[in-house]
Amino acid sequence: MSEWLESAIARAQHLDDWLAPKRAHAVELLAQTKWPTRKTEAWRYTPLRPVERTTAGKISDDVSLSPETIADLTPIELVFVNGQFDASQSTKELPAGLSISLGQDLDAAQQASALTAFAAIKPERHLFGLVNDALAEDVVLVSVAEEVEITQPIRISSLLSQGAESHTRVQVSLAKGSRLTVIEDIQSQGETLSTAFVEYDIAANAYLEHYRFALQTGTNLAIGGSHFNLSDKSKMHSSIVGFGSDLSRLDTDIIHAGEFADAKLNAIYLLDGKELFDLHATVEHAMPNGTTEENVRCIVADRARAVFNGRIHIHPDAQKTLAALNNRNLLMSDKAEINTKPELEIYADDVRCAHGATVAEIDKQALYYLQTRGVSRSKAQVMLNFGFINELIDLMPNAALAEWVRPIIRERFAQMEVK
Amino acid sequence: MSNTNSLLTIKDLYASVEDKQIIKGLNLEIKPGEVHAIMGPNGAGKSTLGYVLSGREGYSVDGGNVALAGQDLLEMETEDRARAGLFLAFQYPVEIPGVSNLEFLKASVDAQREARGEEAITSAEFLKEAKAACKQVNLPVSFLKRGVNEGFSGGEKKRNELMQMLLLKPTLCILDETDSGLDIDALQVVAEGVNSQRSADRSFIVVTHYQRLLDYIKPDFVHVLSDGKIVKSGDASLAHELEAQGYAWLQTAPAEDELEG
Repeated sequence: MSEWLESAIARAQHLDDWLAPKRAHAVELLAQTKWPTRKTEAWRYTPLRPVERTTAGKISDDVSLSPETIADLTPIELVFVNGQFDASQSTKELPAGLSISLGQDLDAAQQASALTAFAAIKPERHLFGLVNDALAEDVVLVSVAEEVEITQPIRISSLLSQGAESHTRVQVSLAKGSRLTVIEDIQSQGETLSTAFVEYDIAANAYLEHYRFALQTGTNLAIGGSHFNLSDKSKMHSSIVGFGSDLSRLDTDIIHAGEFADAKLNAIYLLDGKELFDLHATVEHAMPNGTTEENVRCIVADRARAVFNGRIHIHPDAQKTLAALNNRNLLMSDKAEINTKPELEIYADDVRCAHGATVAEIDKQALYYLQTRGVSRSKAQVMLNFGFINELIDLMPNAALAEWVRPIIRERFAQMEVK
Repeated sequence: MSNTNSLLTIKDLYASVEDKQIIKGLNLEIKPGEVHAIMGPNGAGKSTLGYVLSGREGYSVDGGNVALAGQDLLEMETEDRARAGLFLAFQYPVEIPGVSNLEFLKASVDAQREARGEEAITSAEFLKEAKAACKQVNLPVSFLKRGVNEGFSGGEKKRNELMQMLLLKPTLCILDETDSGLDIDALQVVAEGVNSQRSADRSFIVVTHYQRLLDYIKPDFVHVLSDGKIVKSGDASLAHELEAQGYAWLQTAPAEDELEG
């Protein structure tokens, strides 16, 4: 075990609140867990040295950080600053049918049911998920009532100042037939460490539109997870955009726990310098007639490293499953690295399941040709290679978010060098 | 040599590709409105010259200097050379699936207009110009919608190069073996296009292996390039001489100073 994990466990033992049984369970599991090394499959390409060496720690000082303003988007804000829920920046007046509350403010009966739901979707194998179980203080619960459509998106912002460590946790529950959009965003500065986990329980016929932006770079260490449980005829559409940092790791789990559920997951990541981004996406088809479509597209420049592990597990009962997993990568330099591993495990015989991964290099001849016509290198690069990223941005259902993130991604790409 | 009148001045140029020296002390001066033909055997460095002048990655300049309208060409990025008026018509134009010809042409024209501080041309206005250029080079207008050079025949690619030249209006055009792979009809279309662009303030370097193209594009000067330098210069009649003699005489050619003198 690392010193970092030991100290995390020690800190968890000081927390005595409504989540105590869950924290104790997480600590127990952590105590049995071996600290990952190169030989640990789930962390093979993602060394944890930056976590071992981090100087980030808990900061309780008042800092003034605010979520970024996005044109044409007026979200319901749910703000954490350095891991603490910031009620002053969070939206108080909520539309009918939506409730947002802090776990510690609930009455005993509500806490009891929240306790049952806590960590019920997120699998126990996620090491930092357990750390989050043990250390997330202000757990926020979001729920939408049956058949209610909340048109205003909820934005969960985790804001970190230099040197901060933060563990945030949100539990989202969509009752039958409800509709909700949730945006998860982290904004951090300097050397930070965060774990940010959200569990989504999506009841029958409900629809979740989901975004996760992990645009932190540099020495920001960000480990997180988004975990979804799908019931009968429920749907989800998730869009993930990530830039790399010294350590950026995201685990997603989509569990088809009901029949005729539909999941779409589109992920884009663009890495430069020595950055690393690791996406582990798991889909469990436990029930029949489910559909999953996953598109992961990645551009890696300089000495950056992308990791993608896409596992689709089709259980024996999950007949008539339709699942497709596609991973396309563009390498900008000889030293850039992509580790992609699609994993299909199929135990049902009447399913359709496709997967593919491709790695392309930048077409230097085409780049030169465009330049000889006066087009700048950066513009040419975008013209030639932005199409496959643009396609996924176009698929984002929320136009305001798509138009906010598109120039950010394009700009980052234009700055990447061909080597 | 540094005549203020000259459009392009190449002085004692040395250049290499992957550590192999290809251009070995090349001198050339071109005045506005002149058409210079560069002929020579395979491997003489004819295509390399175009790549070096346009700044292609992997081609390194080991010595000498090049001025285009008084500016140090070798110091400039490829795109800036184009914006300064240099145009290279490729021997093998690059296919770019996924980028439409129209988008490509508009981006090129926009970039050059912007560099000259001119206002951007509207899409409608540009489409009109592009259609007219298509007509002039005898390409169906539908080619504007296709991917750049994607699935074009050899002749269509060359005409597409010519169309770019018409739209970009460069001051120095390098035609790199534009005649290769063309039948006589296509050759005539290309030559007519080039001739229509000849003017007092536009110069051409016509790089070719064969004299045939020069029947249609009459050069003011003909240079023979061999082993990385110009070994003989003359007027249009030199091309005919070469056609009759071939390049075999170069193997036993006397020292270049005698020829240059």
